[in-house]
Amino acid sequence: MGLFKIILDWLDRRIGVREIVAKELTGYLLPRNINVWYSMGSILLFIFGLQVVTGILLLIHYVPDADKAFKSVTFIMNDVPFGWLIRMCHAVGSNMMVLILLFHMLSVLFMGSYKKPRELNWLSGFILFNLIMGISLTGYLLPWSQLSFWATSVATNSAGSIPVVGPFLVEFLRGSKLVGPATLGRFFALHVAVLPLAIAGLIGAHLFFLKRTGISTPPFGLKESGNQWQGDIYRYEDHPGGIPFFPNYALQDATSIALYLAFFLAVVFFDPYLFFTRESFVAANPFQTPAHIKPEWYFLANYQTLKIFPNELIGLSLQGAAMTFLALLPFIDRGSERHPLKRPLFMAAAMGGIILWIGLSIWGHYS
Amino acid sequence: MVNDDRRKFLAICLGGLTASAVVAVGYPVYRYLAPLQKENAAGKVVIPEQELPAGGAKFFEYAGSTAVMVRKQGGDLVALSAVCTHLGCIVQWEKEKQDFLCPCHAGRFTPEGTVISGPPPKPLAKLPFVVANGVITVG
Repeated sequence: MGLFKIILDWLDRRIGVREIVAKELTGYLLPRNINVWYSMGSILLFIFGLQVVTGILLLIHYVPDADKAFKSVTFIMNDVPFGWLIRMCHAVGSNMMVLILLFHMLSVLFMGSYKKPRELNWLSGFILFNLIMGISLTGYLLPWSQLSFWATSVATNSAGSIPVVGPFLVEFLRGSKLVGPATLGRFFALHVAVLPLAIAGLIGAHLFFLKRTGISTPPFGLKESGNQWQGDIYRYEDHPGGIPFFPNYALQDATSIALYLAFFLAVVFFDPYLFFTRESFVAANPFQTPAHIKPEWYFLANYQTLKIFPNELIGLSLQGAAMTFLALLPFIDRGSERHPLKRPLFMAAAMGGIILWIGLSIWGHYS
Repeated sequence: MVNDDRRKFLAICLGGLTASAVVAVGYPVYRYLAPLQKENAAGKVVIPEQELPAGGAKFFEYAGSTAVMVRKQGGDLVALSAVCTHLGCIVQWEKEKQDFLCPCHAGRFTPEGTVISGPPPKPLAKLPFVVANGVITVG
């Protein structure tokens, strides 16, 4: 401990680290009734970090060329020591990120944390959710397997039903009439440069909003669960007498991350191909469409919606409307009550939406 | 005092766990990043003798590095590492002068690899080879 104290003293005299620690860690007080759902954001931050690290490692051996991409992925899996581990962590991690992101959004929805004055937190988070979907979709093509190729063909094709600009949009997305080497080039650039930077920037904005407005109080275990903010002036929501972020909640964050890691590594080691299909192990063949090609599990509901309606435009418009409704939720649901059981209309709509989403996904899986 | 002992014990446990985690993550990452061993890294290189006229040189890859085979004007063969002993550039064979020149800092070597002039501190490393039935086998 002696050396640690010497370094701390040295830093403290120069940049006042003890003041930062007192203000941002030990003196950063959280609501006394804070719960485990508040650690989802930390898990997501951890996953994003892991995706960046494993992604950079994959870049060392991956070749973004239609003739070499599949071979380079096979090389990583079979010949590079621990290449399988790095790739599996990246592939499984991307699915886990979407899963935890959904949990994070659900907890925010049910605890009413999206309500004023936190509209910007919700909006930035919602854009992040879309960017994560985008980075998953673009990453899906990179192994250049039959699954990558045809899933991307189907996904990009759905934009074609937009009136007037649809066909142009599809060609623009693909960089050619059909999915091909040009698509791989642009999806690669989006996946490794544009989207990670956009996501990192938005995470910064999301955390900035969180720090400026202050963390929301969970509506549970309180007599008054309504929102006290009047909308008159800027006010930081502090929690006098609350529990310190460090060490108390940092320990909860660490515990949640450890539990997540146990779950994540269980999949990586015991069922690594959970999110893979037979077509994932066959190189892309533009002349042969495999039967029953399906998108990733989180796009299954969208996929099934498009299949239900005879007119693709209706299916696409409905999805657009649902997404717009979700994005603008804090501006639509303006009541101050945050306890889920005291918001019957919200509860009914939310449960209905979740059941519909799960139902469509299962239908899409077995259809 | 009891509390202090418990703290120390827990700190040791935590330190041990952290160290194990660092090894568990660090080892696969190190192995992933470590240079791959090529199958023919320690293999032999075969050069037909007719490819080397008197006064000529042939550069080739050997054991993951660059090497050169020279046939001197007298007909003797020499196999050398082509990596300059100064800063690792690849030396060039100057047929007219019958010597090696390192283009980076003008180091000069004889066809035997001995330093003539310039900054190289050591001669070029000699490589083993055998000649049989018109074929030179290096390594």
